[in-house]
Amino acid sequence: MKIAILSGKGGTGKTTLSVNLFSYLEQATLIDTDVEEPNSHLFLKGNLVKEEIVYKKYPLVDDDLCNYCGKCGDFCNFNAIIPAKKKILVFQDLCHDCGGCAMVCPNEAISYIDKEVGVIYHTQIKENKLFLYGNLTVGEVSGVKIIETLKESTKNAELLLIDSPPGTSCSTVAAIDGADYCIICAEPTPFGLSDMRMVVELLRAEKRNFGVVVNKSNLGNDDIYHYLEEEKIELLEKIKFDREFARIMADGELLINYSKYFKEKIANIARKVLGDKDDQ
Amino acid sequence: MKIAISSLENKEFSKVSDRFARCEYFIIYDHDSLSFTAVINTAKDAGSGAGGKAVKILGDLNVDIVLAPELGPKALEALKAFEIKSYQYPREKTVKEVLYLFYEKKLPELLISTSKGRH
Repeated sequence: MKIAILSGKGGTGKTTLSVNLFSYLEQATLIDTDVEEPNSHLFLKGNLVKEEIVYKKYPLVDDDLCNYCGKCGDFCNFNAIIPAKKKILVFQDLCHDCGGCAMVCPNEAISYIDKEVGVIYHTQIKENKLFLYGNLTVGEVSGVKIIETLKESTKNAELLLIDSPPGTSCSTVAAIDGADYCIICAEPTPFGLSDMRMVVELLRAEKRNFGVVVNKSNLGNDDIYHYLEEEKIELLEKIKFDREFARIMADGELLINYSKYFKEKIANIARKVLGDKDDQ
Repeated sequence: MKIAISSLENKEFSKVSDRFARCEYFIIYDHDSLSFTAVINTAKDAGSGAGGKAVKILGDLNVDIVLAPELGPKALEALKAFEIKSYQYPREKTVKEVLYLFYEKKLPELLISTSKGRH
């Protein structure tokens, strides 16, 4: 079973939920797919077992075969390939490695070369606990390749937790791809609700099952609860904000080891999402 | 000879833009016919690579010279590939004013990128 934890707005508690749920479970694999700013590893101490370099491909144009028709440039949605008059410009960092420019080239002038875009760290936390996180190279625009590699490396995991990136763009779509269930970690603020609506739209378009955890439930207002009721979305759990929680997190510690209240909340989420069998 | 200027609106007396590739309009001044033409900048809303796309638009219009507030590294590289020269204008002027400054040779040529590429 694959479970993605996502939010829309940043800072709502995706990683807090992910690392604590992961640590609570008897057996699980966790991947941090927020490769632009990974942070799950700050809470999980384990042994680094493997470093995997991730490459993307970018186009190389053969000047002898190219007739400067401009079709590659017209096709590219990211302006990574710009046909000038006597030269084709390629901006490697803008390329999303879709392969489209070679497909539309009538002269077979385009081939591809590998470029390093990031690293995946495989770490063993406990015997039954594998944790992987990716780190996008500074200057690269897309982490999708790393996320896809993270998913591929863990495709046989019995229970996979996916700590997803914020937002609703390509990287989030890549992170939730193949997920059997998604947990939206939301906060009851106007910004939190607004971004959650976009996530709900995305998850419905992608036909995913999902429920919502309202984090920092004692802050903000009640709009989020009205919204969930109107949209008939399951409220999995409410977790309050507590200054002490922030302090424990800032020390890089897991809340379930310190707060009985929080551990019960995590247990309840696990029960609702996974059923009783996986409960500890 | 054609000169393109990044502009906020579509007239020769409009204010110049303080962004090159994400400006609203390019005002094209044709030195031979002494006429101004406004071109909507479709690179403005590009998710990425607006610099390269804007230069491509101007290159396809056979522009020879660009007057810009600043240029990112990709725009500069593309301008070189299209053999378009670029000169830097001061902010808060109108399109016509910077054009006069160009003809009075008061605008410095942009040879290195003056801003980091933005997305």
